[in-house]
Amino acid sequence: MTTGNLWKVVDRAEAAIDPAESIAFVSDPGFGGIDVFIGKVRDLNQGRAVQGITYDLFEPLVLNEFQRLVDEAQAEFGPRVKLYVAHAKGRLAVGDVAVVVAAGSPHRDEAFRACRQLIEAVKHRSPIWKQEHYEEGDSEWSEGCSLCEPSAGHAQDHAHDHAH
Amino acid sequence: MKEIAVQLFGAFTELDRQREISVRVNGEHIADLRRAMREQLQQQFPQFRAGLVDYSVFADEKRVLRDSELLPADGRVAILPPVSGG
Repeated sequence: MTTGNLWKVVDRAEAAIDPAESIAFVSDPGFGGIDVFIGKVRDLNQGRAVQGITYDLFEPLVLNEFQRLVDEAQAEFGPRVKLYVAHAKGRLAVGDVAVVVAAGSPHRDEAFRACRQLIEAVKHRSPIWKQEHYEEGDSEWSEGCSLCEPSAGHAQDHAHDHAH
Repeated sequence: MKEIAVQLFGAFTELDRQREISVRVNGEHIADLRRAMREQLQQQFPQFRAGLVDYSVFADEKRVLRDSELLPADGRVAILPPVSGG
């Protein structure tokens, strides 16, 4: 189902994610709409000056999860949607690209909706962790979304009040 | 008693440089591992908030493992704290 899509993890020590690659990948002569989300490292979080971010990933499961999320979006939006996901790992500086999600389709509505669905799923359901490094010299792991017990053979997230 | 190697991610990586700890589990299920790991962390790393175990899931390289599932035969799992990608 996902032969026409691409998902990957990019080690920042080896390369930077190139948003232009995502646009080229989801382009097609029959597609009139492309939506791209680019997530970048910003210099401030909750009032603290940020110097950089380290992304920790459980890579085999991340790739498995990306494939599943792409399959879900494909099933929802149909074969005339092409999808791209890339997430960085390692130490990133302010301004570096952390994640790119792109969707191409004949019309803009599917492109917008598929891209939005995919980036939200990537953020909330992929085994990826963000450690912020502050100007003062200390570092902290970000608060995140719990991956709840799977109800249908896969991870699902919901609210943060968990009682295992 | 089973010895389970738990691969550490996110905030749990602060526990061990090699990003792995060994947990002795009395029981056969993921839920038993969860209980054992929480107790072990409370004793071994009193400064660490062991309650994070309750908000985490266990997984192998293919999928998340439910609390009701059996511990994997190879004795290796990963613990995944709440995620914060993107």
